[in-house]
Amino acid sequence: MSFGWIFALVIGAFILFLAIFISIKFIKTEGASQDAFIAKDISVLLNPLETGFEEGKTTTLQLGTETRIYNLCENDTSFGKQKIRTSQQSFGKWTESYAEISSRNKYIFSGNLIEGKNFYLFSKPFDFPFKVADLIFILPADKTYCFVNIPEDVATEIKDLRLKNIVNATSSGNCPSGSQSVCFNRAGCDIVVNRNSEGTSGSVTKNRENMDFNGNALMYGAIFSDVETYECQIKRLMARTSELASIYEQKADFVASKGCNTNLNLIELKLAAEQGNFAFVSSIVENIREKTAYLGCRLW
Amino acid sequence: MVKNLGQMKIQQTAFMLIALTLFFALVGLFIAGFKFSDLKRGASDLEENNAMLLVTKLANSPEFSCGEAFGSKRDNCVDADKVMILKDEISSKYRGFWGVADIKIRKIYPADNSACTAISYPECGVINLISNSTIGTYDSTFVALCRKEAQNNDYYDKCELARLMVSYQNKQ
Repeated sequence: MSFGWIFALVIGAFILFLAIFISIKFIKTEGASQDAFIAKDISVLLNPLETGFEEGKTTTLQLGTETRIYNLCENDTSFGKQKIRTSQQSFGKWTESYAEISSRNKYIFSGNLIEGKNFYLFSKPFDFPFKVADLIFILPADKTYCFVNIPEDVATEIKDLRLKNIVNATSSGNCPSGSQSVCFNRAGCDIVVNRNSEGTSGSVTKNRENMDFNGNALMYGAIFSDVETYECQIKRLMARTSELASIYEQKADFVASKGCNTNLNLIELKLAAEQGNFAFVSSIVENIREKTAYLGCRLW
Repeated sequence: MVKNLGQMKIQQTAFMLIALTLFFALVGLFIAGFKFSDLKRGASDLEENNAMLLVTKLANSPEFSCGEAFGSKRDNCVDADKVMILKDEISSKYRGFWGVADIKIRKIYPADNSACTAISYPECGVINLISNSTIGTYDSTFVALCRKEAQNNDYYDKCELARLMVSYQNKQ
């Protein structure tokens, strides 16, 4: 074989290797940028879920391909961070994406990894005792939840939210196969919800771990998310409650000079929320709620 | 002569290869540049979308909304007293909270261009909540700007027409 042939073969092989290498790199980069775009898109699409005086809002998220949404919650900074990362299936493999989209004013309750083509998104305002935030819940459309012994107010809410993947049953035995059963004030399900008689607070037991809640919004949060995400979001919500309590405390002083007196102990709420003891904060909130009902001049 | 011809061929091939590499490098750079500008445009579009959707909902967020403080439940109503307190806290605790470059509330009627401070409030027209020197494009929405006013040892609710403005940074 002549030198020319050997030379051409070596160089040809090198060029071919380089072309394949660059193509693979290019496809990976494209996949990662696509994942980042989808994550940012989801984050932007969550804005319309902010509620005014509505009790809740629902929307659907339709992604053409099988997608994994990673719900990452961080509470290291003052209000913590809600991060989203996505990964899509390409040629039977999940794309590797490290681009996280973070926002500080959103609170997403879901498992830390959810997977599917279509998702149901709904939001509910969290009042504690003033509106603190809108909580967002993401459920994969192909995952069914079966609510057993559902209280009337929750049944009405679910019906109004038009969540097609939540079904009602009289007992866990009647639940569709493969569904996740949720029992209200009754044992024998994957998830057990114990609500007090007024339905204002209680706890959710999941995988032998308890999550305390106050109000229906947090109850859904405990049902649909995992324990780590729930606890992280609670800490973030407490931080915002504390800051809002401080703003309302200063507003109370300001409007008192104009004759609008409230006499609410918001400093206590601010300090308790800062410490993050949820049960203690809940008791203070209930106390403030009672007092607010009889106030002539309202702060919120 | 034969040796020289062989050297000539190797030189030709080497020059050809250099030219080919340069050509593909330039094409690659062109594609990368195009993709990068596309990425930037996409990011900018998303920022614009974010600002547009945020501005319609910002008035209802807890730090801004009137809630039931002014008699009845009001949508697109901003509590001016609360926002003036927020103005002092926003640079420290709320930095980057809404993910936009600039937020301001401008009173439309009665029109007034003076900036609101703790001293001038409520006799002022513009509440600058987040101010950024590198401002991008504005999106805005009309809101009711309400506050408590004192009158004859009593108080009353006063609402004025205002514009809530949010700006985002252009990535391009």
